[in-house]
Amino acid sequence: MLKLYDYELSGNCYKVRLMLAFLGLTYKQILIEFYPSKQHKSQEFFKINPLGQLPVISDQDILVRDAQAILIYLAAKYDRQKRWYPTRNPAMIAQISEWLFFANDLTSTSSAARLHDGFFYTDIRIEECRKRAHELFRVLDEHLYFNEQQGYSWICHSKNPTIADIACFPYIILSEEGGISRINYPAIRRWCDRFKRIPHFTVMPGVFPAGPDKTLDK
Amino acid sequence: MGATICTDKVILNQWHPISSVDDLKNNEQGNTILLEEDLSFNKISDEEVLIWKSADPSKKLLQAKLKYGYLWTTLGHPAPDLFSFPEFYEIDRRNVATGAFGVNISAGRAIENFLDMGHFPFVHTGILGEEPHTEVKEYDVSISENDDEILATKCQFYQPQAAVASSEGTDVEYIYRVPHINCAILYKSSPVDESRQDAIVIFVQPVGPEKVRAHTGMCIIDDKSADADIRLFQQTIFGQDKPILENQLPKKLPLDSRAETPIRADKSAIAYRRWLSQKGLTYGVIPSKDINLSRFT
Amino acid sequence: MDIEFSKWFPVASTSDLPYRHIFQAQLLGREYAIWRADDGHVNIWENRCLHRGVRLSIGINEGSELKCQYHGWRYANRTAGCTYIPAHPADAPARTICNNTYQSQEKYGMIWTCETPDGTVPEIEGFGSYTVLRPIPINSSYKTIENFLTNVGIPKHQFVKSKSTVAWQFKLESGTQISFFIQPQNNNISILRGIYSLHIEGAEKIKILKHYNSIMVEIRDKLEKQDSPQLPDLEPKISQVSDQLSKIPVYGNQNQRFHLRVTVTEKVRISDNIIKLKLKSIKEQLPTFHAGAHIDIQLQNGLIRQYSLTNGPGETDHYCIAVKIEKNGGGGSKTIGENIAIGDVIAISSPHNSFPLLRNSKHTIFVAGGIGITPLLSMAKALHSMKLSFEFHYFTQSQDLSAFQNEIYKLGKNTNTYIDLTIDQTLSKIEKILETPSPLNKVYVCGPGEMIENTIKIGNDSGWNESNLRYEYFKNNNKIDNDSTFQIELARSAISLNVPSGKSILEVLTENGIKLESSCEQGACGTCKVSVLEGDINHQDVYLNSSEKRKGKVILTCVSRAKSDRLILDI
Repeated sequence: MLKLYDYELSGNCYKVRLMLAFLGLTYKQILIEFYPSKQHKSQEFFKINPLGQLPVISDQDILVRDAQAILIYLAAKYDRQKRWYPTRNPAMIAQISEWLFFANDLTSTSSAARLHDGFFYTDIRIEECRKRAHELFRVLDEHLYFNEQQGYSWICHSKNPTIADIACFPYIILSEEGGISRINYPAIRRWCDRFKRIPHFTVMPGVFPAGPDKTLDK
Repeated sequence: MGATICTDKVILNQWHPISSVDDLKNNEQGNTILLEEDLSFNKISDEEVLIWKSADPSKKLLQAKLKYGYLWTTLGHPAPDLFSFPEFYEIDRRNVATGAFGVNISAGRAIENFLDMGHFPFVHTGILGEEPHTEVKEYDVSISENDDEILATKCQFYQPQAAVASSEGTDVEYIYRVPHINCAILYKSSPVDESRQDAIVIFVQPVGPEKVRAHTGMCIIDDKSADADIRLFQQTIFGQDKPILENQLPKKLPLDSRAETPIRADKSAIAYRRWLSQKGLTYGVIPSKDINLSRFT
Repeated sequence: MDIEFSKWFPVASTSDLPYRHIFQAQLLGREYAIWRADDGHVNIWENRCLHRGVRLSIGINEGSELKCQYHGWRYANRTAGCTYIPAHPADAPARTICNNTYQSQEKYGMIWTCETPDGTVPEIEGFGSYTVLRPIPINSSYKTIENFLTNVGIPKHQFVKSKSTVAWQFKLESGTQISFFIQPQNNNISILRGIYSLHIEGAEKIKILKHYNSIMVEIRDKLEKQDSPQLPDLEPKISQVSDQLSKIPVYGNQNQRFHLRVTVTEKVRISDNIIKLKLKSIKEQLPTFHAGAHIDIQLQNGLIRQYSLTNGPGETDHYCIAVKIEKNGGGGSKTIGENIAIGDVIAISSPHNSFPLLRNSKHTIFVAGGIGITPLLSMAKALHSMKLSFEFHYFTQSQDLSAFQNEIYKLGKNTNTYIDLTIDQTLSKIEKILETPSPLNKVYVCGPGEMIENTIKIGNDSGWNESNLRYEYFKNNNKIDNDSTFQIELARSAISLNVPSGKSILEVLTENGIKLESSCEQGACGTCKVSVLEGDINHQDVYLNSSEKRKGKVILTCVSRAKSDRLILDI
């Protein structure tokens, strides 16, 4: 059975939980207390991930660390329809990869600001993080606006959401916990609503559900 | 004591929590912010912790108190004793500091949310409440003259899986105490022993008027669950409250009765607002323009 | 910036309001939750729930209502009136809780608002058709952007003096125009909005949108590099609630009456005008009821309404009611039609039965008119399951025909449905139905008041014994005279009370702590009936039949009064 080394309040772990929910996979959750005890920096956890980072997933004898890598692994292995990560479409893989790296930038900015405000990571340069996060949000908002204009609902030019959407969603939806308001990113907010309406979407503390989709409504 | 940024005597003359005892390491300096002042502290023994204003070259010591699992200090002249919390010393209980969380909101809003039951089905869905069990039944609120604290009793709310042994939901009894302007304690039936009550505390450290560190802790009968599991549970609950708190407008707690619309479920919150008004608190609140403050119904 | 409050500002693009979205906007320091209801109406509300100030923009747009995320309060489309407070399903909010709404106009592909409007959104010349450009937020003040547009402008575009005070118009050589608008969110942040004077589609549209996007982004980047002085932010403006709303409502006597909590598990429109609700208990077993019983429902807007249960025997895990939605009807049917949703908790009374079914008749005749079918349906189901003899006559309009067809069908052969009859046709049918009186048979009639009166009259004329003609009015159309002043004496408790004009006996009893069961409180249901030992009664109800009224041994305390100076009641 799949095992997820997980922390409830981590956005990176949330990415994996979302992927597992969307794919309908059952898994065993092994809780690692990131805060306040820093279990992910314990000698015991270093044996699982020498980088001391969450999440990690184990699938029989395979151990995968890094949220983005896990998304790729799970989608490539378990998504029979190859929608979340279309392995046979190099152009789409290129697009997805760009946004996976973008998601990493969100971790070092929006997530960092959240750690600063909520979990007292006082060595983080908060103003810089927020400023950089706003720059990223401006880029994404413009991108999503023009995608909408061209009939695309998701981050990549695809009919269905991809792992790029999953990778970007958590630290966007949690940004306000780091003092980064989304009031001026309307295209991002619309995309967030659409994302929340993906069947089997699940919440985490800090994330609210959206109302029902038109197609599910009478 | 020197000049302070905050000038509100009511909040200056209080003991404030700044760290859990668990987080104090011998001879390792810690830093925090209280009422917009940078503070440093250093534990030199199990009984003694030094606290000073970080910017003060003379390192003049502030008063320190180790109590109820927390380190407390003050920038003013508080009464020598902290409020009573006898359960903390009951020998068969476990005291678990479940973590401090930064929230961009005033202390008053955070306390009020802690006193609120009506949000359980909507914010803590499936854990502390669930639809359609949304009704908040009548409960009693009083302000004890002797102890100067607010007491809400006979509170009941439906909780799914309220007891370890049962998968069914049931009404759980709650008692709330607000013995300090920024601290509250709730008692609820223990899931492992119905005859006893667990205590859950929130001690709020006002970092600024619209920014707090909320220290949470549990004082429970349970001898089975691991500390980490207890902390993780409390973190989930607090993580769910946080976005609600940070989306409240205004961030300061409005004490004027016409600022918001209370319903009967809010009796304890209304008592709390009046109590703060009567004390003349101005920091982190929008003071009331009401003339008649004595009337409490 | 005081002058700006009478000015219209665009605060969103039409495309910012997709299906069931809530848009967060800000103007001059005030935040708005803007949402389009399923009927197309654009609501602009202050972005905070009146209860605890939580932003409504994090809530849920349910199509006709907006639901707050904190305590599930719901606010109605258009009026912004609060329709549901889950914490107090039994509260009768005699007060109207209404969020603050602002003017909303949709023009030039944008949503406009104004705090204190002076006229409507100004006309902008040359924009009969248009394409809305991507709005660009800029960390600059209104003035800074205004200066830039007026003094610097944009390359290859000629600045045109605009007649409107809100638009900065530019012209290309081709004659095509661009109009810019500035939405001051706060002192140091604004949104630059623009429209293009042609309606374009497809690739051309993308091209133009991208072109102007880069021009506007360039303006943004230039302005944000400028070292303009930062003004202090405007304090977020927050409206106060009324004095009445600022007080906690009193825990009323009413609440004890509505002690059952049920959730709506089904809400189905069974004909054009009739809605069926299935109500299930949240916790305890629902009390047993007898055929013909009704429950009182405390509606979310404080109204109290009675509805007969349509359940058949053995259906003990839920109550079923059917509600006719009156087109111009009062708040009751409107509330049920519009504001009650599946999953809502509502407070109801235990069932009362003042229209009991007597099962000792040889044969029973039911005469149902319109929605008056509901208690009779339950009765007929009971007789049917006991295999007792009955016949069922149902007068209805074709539009409601579908509502109970299925249930009537299940009652077996002795049922007749009459559709769209005139009054005369109806009366002659009833004459026929009642032509053979029998002391062993009973007639139950329920429907519009006039129909009941006529049926009783026909029955009496045909020789039926009055006590065998049983009926239930849905409402009392009599004009109630409550001018008189008199004494009541309570024989069993030896208390004497004064009933002043303007108050009913029931009210006086309740005020003095004497509990008496009541329900409709308009003289129709009979729940508050008590025996009279002495005194003349001024009957004003429609519950007692004429011989009961003549005898003068019982009184409906909610409407009837004394003719004499005093009444001695057997309580």
